Amino acid sequence: MEYIEVEINLENYTVRNIPESLISIDADGKTVVDTNSPLYYYDKIPDYKIDRDGKFILDTTQQKIPNTINVNVFLKQNYDDLGIFTDLNFTPKTPYDTSKPLDFNPMVDGRIPGYPVDFYYTAPITSTGLTLDNQLKGMSSLRINPQTNLPIYTPGLNVSRDKKNIFSGVMDENPQHIRYKIGSDINDITNTGVEYITYKNEFIKFENEFGDSNLGNKTMFTTNNGGWGQYNLSLAALVKEEELLGIVFKPEISSDVFINRGVADIFERHAILSELKTTQDIDTMRGGYISNE
Amino acid sequence: MATGNYGTIRPADPTVDDIEILYCYSPDREDLGSLTLQSLNPAEVLVPAMDPNVGTEVLGGLYTLKLPTQKFGSKGFYNVIIRPKQIRTQIINCGVLTDLPDIKGLVFDINTISVDDENRFENGNLVGYRIEYLDTLNPTVKLPNFYTIITSNNRALPITPASGGANTNDTWSLNDNSNTTFCTVTPASSPSVNPNAFPDIGQPQQRVIITNTFFDPVMLEIEMVEYDHETLAYALYSNQSKSLEDGIYTIYNFDNEIYKQYNLYEVKNQFTGKPLFEIREQKSIIDTTKGFDNVTDTTVS
Repeated sequence: MEYIEVEINLENYTVRNIPESLISIDADGKTVVDTNSPLYYYDKIPDYKIDRDGKFILDTTQQKIPNTINVNVFLKQNYDDLGIFTDLNFTPKTPYDTSKPLDFNPMVDGRIPGYPVDFYYTAPITSTGLTLDNQLKGMSSLRINPQTNLPIYTPGLNVSRDKKNIFSGVMDENPQHIRYKIGSDINDITNTGVEYITYKNEFIKFENEFGDSNLGNKTMFTTNNGGWGQYNLSLAALVKEEELLGIVFKPEISSDVFINRGVADIFERHAILSELKTTQDIDTMRGGYISNE
Repeated sequence: MATGNYGTIRPADPTVDDIEILYCYSPDREDLGSLTLQSLNPAEVLVPAMDPNVGTEVLGGLYTLKLPTQKFGSKGFYNVIIRPKQIRTQIINCGVLTDLPDIKGLVFDINTISVDDENRFENGNLVGYRIEYLDTLNPTVKLPNFYTIITSNNRALPITPASGGANTNDTWSLNDNSNTTFCTVTPASSPSVNPNAFPDIGQPQQRVIITNTFFDPVMLEIEMVEYDHETLAYALYSNQSKSLEDGIYTIYNFDNEIYKQYNLYEVKNQFTGKPLFEIREQKSIIDTTKGFDNVTDTTVS
């Protein structure tokens, strides 16, 4: 809320005028003012507007006009981060090139017009690791075993919000472990998504960078969806709306194409650094983005 | 694909029907702890400036606050709050749309809304309004730091869900021939780390405050004073008179109207008659016969 301080002098609204009709000369020749007259407002702030004769000023409907102290205010409406954009279709340069050059490296070569999206795909990378069982809590059904008071895990139950396209849920359960997947394609559950196996009788303790310890069931995760492929890579044009340029940001007189390539392997950062030849390049290479003009 | 987020500040152009004005008075700053807020009718005290090129068009942003001297005529501090109008009502249902069962929303009964505000509940008119919630157990208490924003609203009717559920009141179908409106709000999606945790958007029968977001609230602290540079200039540069007959010293404003009056006299030793002090004492009762035109008119005694 904006806070505005205003100082107003009441003297500007105080009547200092004495109507001539109230001033007279008595028998002794002295000036007399009728201070008891209803037209006498000296040193007062009247509730309604009066003229110099002390009479009410009337509006067009013969109504008295309230006396007011006027203050101008400026009302504003802030709107931020509304995500104003136009979902423009990406118009590629066609026909697409059909043969991928042998030495083409998207990390170094960047975006090249005419190259189809599959030129940028990389070979699948399998990642595996050890974690806690935090994800398991979201895999249970809404029922609870009345004997053990523990959640029930139902194999095949899809707990994903987008059940038509995504599968997240328990695959199987035995006394030793629970196997479940998160984010799998509904048509290829086996080969997509992240697979977790939480071991019921094994526990591990993790200590984070702040020294806090977290104890939980040992959980192994595996995914072979590393790298870039049809599920996580697309080509699109990033277009700012010209009519809005200059309102928030200065107009950028360039036709930059930003490609967020992320970090696909351990050489990524070195590959990017090799492209920085001037201090201007450092400014251009913000937040992992490369600008190719 | 989003191309970036934009934001700006625009001159607001709400109608006076979208505005509430509250004020309080305290004679000095020390009294600010015990404030009693009172309402002003925006239709009576707030006037929008019109575009000089198109006389019927609100300029936007600039409004004149006409404070009646009947209420604002005392020396001291007036705090005036101009804020978006609040509509108080009750959630009648937290249901889902039959075609979009993943989308949960709030349902309000339009018949319970005052006639002046009913048009705000027509389809799409509530978009951008903020909902604040009152305690379900004690509706006189507002829940702090808890609000949602309406992202859409449309009249809707309760129907029997396709799955044949028993509680028909929780499933709604958009239908303009109804007296209830279904509002989607944000935030209303579960965090990705915990898909089962649906955010609280309210409960049936819970009282709520619905507020427009057409402009940012403004608070004015108006200090009413009796002196400024202009009045000090009266004392220095304006016309003055001293009545030699009765010792009345009069200061006039720049319109030659009596501004202040003083008695001038000497205090003397009562025994020796020796002058001790020259006194200038402000008169509480003005001698109105000492008008500048009167005293300079030599034809009148």
